[in-house]
Amino acid sequence: MISAVADTARALRDTRRLAGIAIFVVIGVVFLLVAPPELVNNLDDMIFEVGFATATIQATVPLALAGIGGLYAEKSGVINIGIEGLLIAGAFSSVTLTFFLSGPVDPRLALWLGFVGAILMSALLALLFAVICIEWEADQIIAGLAVWLLMLGAAPFGARVVFGSKNTSGVGVFNKIAIPGLADIPVLGEIFFDAYPTTYIMFLTVPVAWYVLNRTPYGTWVKASGEHPEALDTAGVSVRKVRYSAVLISGVLSGIGGASLTLASAGRFVGSGQTMVNGRGFIAIVTYLMGNYNPVGTFLSGVLFAGMDALQVRAQQIPEVSDAVPADLVGIVPHITVILVLVFFGYTRIPARAGEHYEPGEE
Amino acid sequence: MSDGRVPDAMGSRAYAWLQRLVGASRAERVIISVVALVVAILIGMVFVFVSGAVAECTNDPAVYRLFGFALPLKFLGTEFCYDPINVFYVLIEGSLTDVFGIALTLQATAILLLTGLSVAISFRAGLFNIGTQGQMVLGALAAGVIGPRLVDMVEPGVLGGAIVLGVSMLAAAIVGGIWGAIPGVMKAYADANEVITTIMLNIIASGLAITVVRDVLGQSKVQTEALPQWAMFTSVVLPTNAKFSMLVLAGAVVLTVALWYVLNYSAFGYNLRVSGIQPDAAEYSGVNAKRVIVATMTIAGILGGLAGAAFVLMAQGYWADGVPAYGFDGITVSVLAANSPAGIIPAALLFGTFRSGTIVLQLGAEVPPEIIDVLRGIIILLVAMPEAIRQLAMRWGIEPPEEPAGQAGVTADD
Repeated sequence: MISAVADTARALRDTRRLAGIAIFVVIGVVFLLVAPPELVNNLDDMIFEVGFATATIQATVPLALAGIGGLYAEKSGVINIGIEGLLIAGAFSSVTLTFFLSGPVDPRLALWLGFVGAILMSALLALLFAVICIEWEADQIIAGLAVWLLMLGAAPFGARVVFGSKNTSGVGVFNKIAIPGLADIPVLGEIFFDAYPTTYIMFLTVPVAWYVLNRTPYGTWVKASGEHPEALDTAGVSVRKVRYSAVLISGVLSGIGGASLTLASAGRFVGSGQTMVNGRGFIAIVTYLMGNYNPVGTFLSGVLFAGMDALQVRAQQIPEVSDAVPADLVGIVPHITVILVLVFFGYTRIPARAGEHYEPGEE
Repeated sequence: MSDGRVPDAMGSRAYAWLQRLVGASRAERVIISVVALVVAILIGMVFVFVSGAVAECTNDPAVYRLFGFALPLKFLGTEFCYDPINVFYVLIEGSLTDVFGIALTLQATAILLLTGLSVAISFRAGLFNIGTQGQMVLGALAAGVIGPRLVDMVEPGVLGGAIVLGVSMLAAAIVGGIWGAIPGVMKAYADANEVITTIMLNIIASGLAITVVRDVLGQSKVQTEALPQWAMFTSVVLPTNAKFSMLVLAGAVVLTVALWYVLNYSAFGYNLRVSGIQPDAAEYSGVNAKRVIVATMTIAGILGGLAGAAFVLMAQGYWADGVPAYGFDGITVSVLAANSPAGIIPAALLFGTFRSGTIVLQLGAEVPPEIIDVLRGIIILLVAMPEAIRQLAMRWGIEPPEEPAGQAGVTADD
């Protein structure tokens, strides 16, 4: 009886996942119908190309990492809607720290130090968020929004202080690392085995995050902390510590994700408007909702959104296409997709006690 | 969620915080906001001072002094160039001491009243609407597109000007209302989390607006045609070139009072507040929660759209990319006001002062004006934890007077 219920629930969940993929297909079809011929005729050039695949994987890195981090936090009972702020912190501090260190140390080393610094900064911000939510019982949504708005102000402010402009100067990017042997495989080698370090970090993080969540005691604690903290308490595990660690994980992963936007892509920080992060933190939240709190699912939905993003970037690079289709209109396609996915995925089974403060010892 | 209400990823959790804020007595709310503001400014000062360590010092030690010490201040082998006290002094002094500054302050205040109300009404209904910025951008676009078209059709003059302003505002209200209704419908009928949909819609709004101006209207620059002076709101009092119109401010204040009345004394307002505090109870008592959500978001959108119209028709005279972030400021204004229309007026005035002060900052001191955006985040962060602020207030010896039990909650309190 119980297993039948569970099976039905699982089947429903799978239906929803299919629905999500269906949305992408429908958008694709509608897109082909309404898109000008210049775009459709060039579509094969845009997609069936190593550059597109590489760009997609690269664009997946911040989404998947921030998404998996957010997933851990939310599973533990702390909804971290401030991921966008953590990504901005990672992106900005990576560039700024690298800039300051480029003089005293070797530029290559400076990039790595900037990278580590970005992770620390993002983790510190996540720690602040955790203290506010866990110790001070702040509302998690408002506190998360505050983290985002704080960084939306602080990063451009910092850029103005250090660089005299909201956009920083360039500090260079990591060298791509080719894995000997594997990198020589045609097509696949170029896409997967000749990549930036952050890409490899993502490919490592996805299975590790899945394993830790589903096959280790810590993963069980994280889940219990969000579903039934009293049980965890009774078992002698500190709910506080579990929640702190999960939020810190979201800080570390978002820091890597934010730094990947700069040190493994743009080489500088852009602080105008919504900053260069441009809503990726919120898209990351949607990736784990769509991925049903599964790190692998989160990664795969990240690939879908990143693919859309890479497609719109490609569309702007092909002159025929960019002349026919307004770049800014193509640029918002990923965000429209996010909304459509949410409309179909709004009903997500969130952890029972996510968003609530937990007072140890309460019944 | 046994009553069949569809649980939402985050929304329903928000009610607890709202309940705490709304449940607090009026005196408590004022204390929380004032203490949060003072602490935020103190943190902001520390932030400015520390930032001065990484900045390149260009200031004249003879002019800039902090506690009698010449700046840059040197200790621990570092030069601190920023004067945190002077920054806030300039912010306030520049916007309140001369007619130009006052006019700019009131200009920002009028727009912030509208964006603050837009946020407040949705927060009161338990909806975390972050979309005021996008609604404002598109409202401003509507006014900026319709206005110049009308200018060609009417006779220049007071009547012509009134027609241009009236129709442009109507267009802005409609466009803003629709843009607000979209996430409302998505929330009500598909339970799509409004925080994320509205933030996405903000980004979509700017992309759409740029496309409309550049590719549909075919403007070479990303801005619409400028309105002639007669087709803009005129300055009735304070006739400076600061582009402030008392008419707009008066209109915004009237709307504030109207919204206060609707929230507290109408059936709709009651339903809205009950939905915000106790959504399940509202459902049981026969409130159509879905309709309340859509209506609330539409009104919020209309207010956001009007804010955009006020910006174009009073301040800028045309739409251009990079509409100032009054929509995000509106969140801080609303949160500081504990989401009550009565509190919006002082909160908007305060933030209006800061906003006009940033213009002075841009001209004078070398501290970047983005310090206000930092402050915006710090204030929300502090108000998010009323418990902590209350404890701090008590430590400082400020205690709210005891209120009779049962008065908190859904009463006809502001």
